[in-house]
Amino acid sequence: MTLPQVINARAALLSNYEVLSLLRELESDNLARTKIAHRIKKEEEASGLGSTVPAGGGKDPTKVDAHENLRTVCFEAIQYLSSEFQPTAAQTPEAITQLVKSLEPYGLTKAEKLQIVNLAPRNHVELYVIVEELEDRLAERMGEVISGVEASLVLDPALPVGPQAPQPDTQNPTIEDASGYWEEDDGEYNGEEFDDQGGDIEGDLDMEEE
Amino acid sequence: MFNLAILKDTVAVHPSDFGGPQGQAIINELNKKYANRILHDVGLCICVFDLTEAGEGKVRYGDGFLWYKVIFRMVVFRPFQTEVLLAKVKSSDHDGVRLSLDFFDDIYVPVHYLPTPNAFDPNERAHFWVPSSDSESKPHELLDTPIAERMWIDKGEIIRVRVESDEFYDDEPGPIKMTEGVQVAKEVQSRAPFTIFASMAEQGLGPTSWWNAAQMEEDAEEGGAMDEG
Repeated sequence: MTLPQVINARAALLSNYEVLSLLRELESDNLARTKIAHRIKKEEEASGLGSTVPAGGGKDPTKVDAHENLRTVCFEAIQYLSSEFQPTAAQTPEAITQLVKSLEPYGLTKAEKLQIVNLAPRNHVELYVIVEELEDRLAERMGEVISGVEASLVLDPALPVGPQAPQPDTQNPTIEDASGYWEEDDGEYNGEEFDDQGGDIEGDLDMEEE
Repeated sequence: MFNLAILKDTVAVHPSDFGGPQGQAIINELNKKYANRILHDVGLCICVFDLTEAGEGKVRYGDGFLWYKVIFRMVVFRPFQTEVLLAKVKSSDHDGVRLSLDFFDDIYVPVHYLPTPNAFDPNERAHFWVPSSDSESKPHELLDTPIAERMWIDKGEIIRVRVESDEFYDDEPGPIKMTEGVQVAKEVQSRAPFTIFASMAEQGLGPTSWWNAAQMEEDAEEGGAMDEG
């Protein structure tokens, strides 16, 4: 087995959410291919043909390449990235872009922003381990960062916690509670204001450009 | 945790794949070769992200394969130093705690990276931390502490750790050793090709349950203060 030539071992960072989406796509592709192969096989059997290799030669469509290693690593990585202790289930691509934009004014490094996206710290202790010298650099603005994170998570579809969440105008008592929570939390920082924070700055973590 | 590595390699595509799109055939070959494999000083390969460049396929003398020179981007697992990760406790022994991420489980927290003072209880097969105790306490003193005061690091718990360092170990077999014309059986190498060392000796690190409980108490206190005011 030849070794590859390494041109750049760390060209870009990927967020856990991006990796999870990529792996899920890969898995569903694989599943679709397996299904097609099964269907062709059944049809062939029904028509009573012995061989499934096309007349002009080529690949047997009923055989799906089983990349055992790829399947294993995909399955296990999906399992880890979608565990209940990970925030990925509550994240959406739009909310992550929004979150990265909202982190712009705090002078955080790219690595710190990546970890905020990956770990979605929702209290001071969690933010403390991610951001070095948190007290000196952020001081009272810690609460803003945490609110930004909370706004990016769809924690409970019933509650309009994020800017992406629907904003029903009914007089539902639970919804009133939730909007009251925003005002209490940081005084000057509620869901609507967060929407305007964005600006035109592109999120650093968006490495998707082809 | 994950990053993109740009690699260059030559892959062979079997004639039976000539019918389909060549890009997909190349990606399949690359995935077959690299997925779940550790590349020295690069990390654990997960899957191909995309192809950056592929040359014209060439047929070599002796086989019917098409050989492509390709540059591609690979999704690689290699957390950077100081990165904070969530992991599950896989096992514990006298030397420390071993953690698992499901797809990767060579993450170790050596004893000196555990919160001090700590001790290993051989009956429970788990380490524990005694936050109320003097940090100079000896392990045998700690083992006499009341069970209720101990903060356990139990198997299966979710732990927040910081990556301190990583290590690659090249498992190249090397030439066969011969003694008096007889091949010497090589001792089995059990070292992992890629190992990560992590720490939980810091405020906020360790089992997430410790800090969730602490945070809730803090919140309760704050709430109480507000009520009074």
